[in-house]
This record gives sequence, structure tokens and C-alpha cells, in this order.
Amino acid sequence: MSYSQTIHLHYERLVLTGEVDLHNSPQVRKQLLAILKNGCSVLVDFSELSYIDSSGIATLVEAFNVAKNNQLTLTIIAAAGAPLQVLELTNLNKVFPMVSSLDDIRE
Amino acid sequence: MKLVRCEHYKACTNELSEIRSVVRCACKKMGFSESEINLLTLAIDEACTNIIRYAYCGDKSGRIDLEVYQSESEAIFFLTDYAKCIKKSCLEIKDKKLTEPGGLGLKLIHKAMDSVQLISLSDPVGNKLELRKRLPQG
Repeated sequence: MSYSQTIHLHYERLVLTGEVDLHNSPQVRKQLLAILKNGCSVLVDFSELSYIDSSGIATLVEAFNVAKNNQLTLTIIAAAGAPLQVLELTNLNKVFPMVSSLDDIRE
Repeated sequence: MKLVRCEHYKACTNELSEIRSVVRCACKKMGFSESEINLLTLAIDEACTNIIRYAYCGDKSGRIDLEVYQSESEAIFFLTDYAKCIKKSCLEIKDKKLTEPGGLGLKLIHKAMDSVQLISLSDPVGNKLELRKRLPQG
């Protein structure tokens, strides 16, 4: 797994690449919580993500709750394939704001 | 019952990627669809994650054995660890809100598989998890 971070409008965009599992989800957690601590809403870009396990999903849930408690947002972009299946299986696709592409993000 | 794969791994998180790759390959061989392969791979990964976290409590010297069998009607996965015996109640799903942490991996395992059974081993001491999934028809 690797990630890159860019700014899109007034959001921090975190692009996750490869597979997120118990081995690397602490890295993702650290990054997400750091972004939120800086007072930025976050776009988690799944377009390059091929796999995510429950530890990755738990990380997103934790970050989502932190964002909500601080009047910020966490939005998932371009979830497809296995990661989308996990979100649907857990009904979290109804909890997280999700959009199909970066073009759907407005100010 | 035909043996499809038999592999041994260290109880380390950096083995998870290889385990997933082996399971994907075995499931493909048994004729599962891409969507089913995703779920079965996730279930085995979650089970291994639980073994590493809760059976071995992060002790990297532990071992996980993966065996995949194919019967006439089912794919059967066995995951064996040699940690202390864990209670069968640990496999029960506690009804929690989705936004609360914990137990998610277990829910995913139960959703992906048709049956999940834990067998306690006494000599050597350990746990054997048996996960079954009906083979695709046709």
C-alpha cells in the first residue's frame, strides 16, 4: 500500500493505492487523523485501491466519527470492485458520503 | 475430498498479502466468480487477522497452516494455529452499530461463508477453524 496527499478545493485528498490490511492500516489511520487534526475535511480516494479489510474499514469509521465530531467531513471517492463490495456488505455505503469521481466534489 | 492447496505461514501481518494471493488462486481454480472470490479472500484474510491479533496476541513466532480442499459440493478451508485454545463464543457475532468498533471482521467471515466452525486441538494445543462454502453450480 502507498498513499499520496494533495489539496482539492478546500479538501485534503488522500489517494490510497494497492491493498489496505492489518499490516498497513495504522499508517492510514495516522494520516487520516493528522489531516482531521489540522481542521481539514478529507476526500479518501479509492480509485487506485484494490483491497481493504475490516481494520481499514474500522480506520475509516473512526476517522468519520472524528470528522463528524469536529464539524468536518470524510467523503469516499471512486469505490469499486472488492473495496465497494466490503462497504456494501457492511452497509457502510449508506453511512459514508460517497461519490463516483472527483468531478462530483463541489466547494 | 481433494487437496487444492496446503501452505504454512508465520503469524505476521506481512504474510497476509501472500495468503490472499494463494486463496484467490485456489478459489479461481474451483470456479468461483470474481465477486465470490473477493468475499472468500476477505473472509480468510479476516480469519488470519483474528488469529494474529487474538490467538497469538502479536507473537510473530506463531504459525498458521492453511489447507484448501474441494469436495463434490463445497470448498473447505482449514486454518490451524498453535496458540492457546480460544472459546467458541469468540466466534459469535455481537450485535453492534456499524459505526462502533470491533467485531466487523467476524461479521464479514460469517457473511462470506456458509458455515464457520472452531475445533479445539489438544495435542498439540491449538485451534482449527473450518470454513465451508458451496461451490458454484454448473
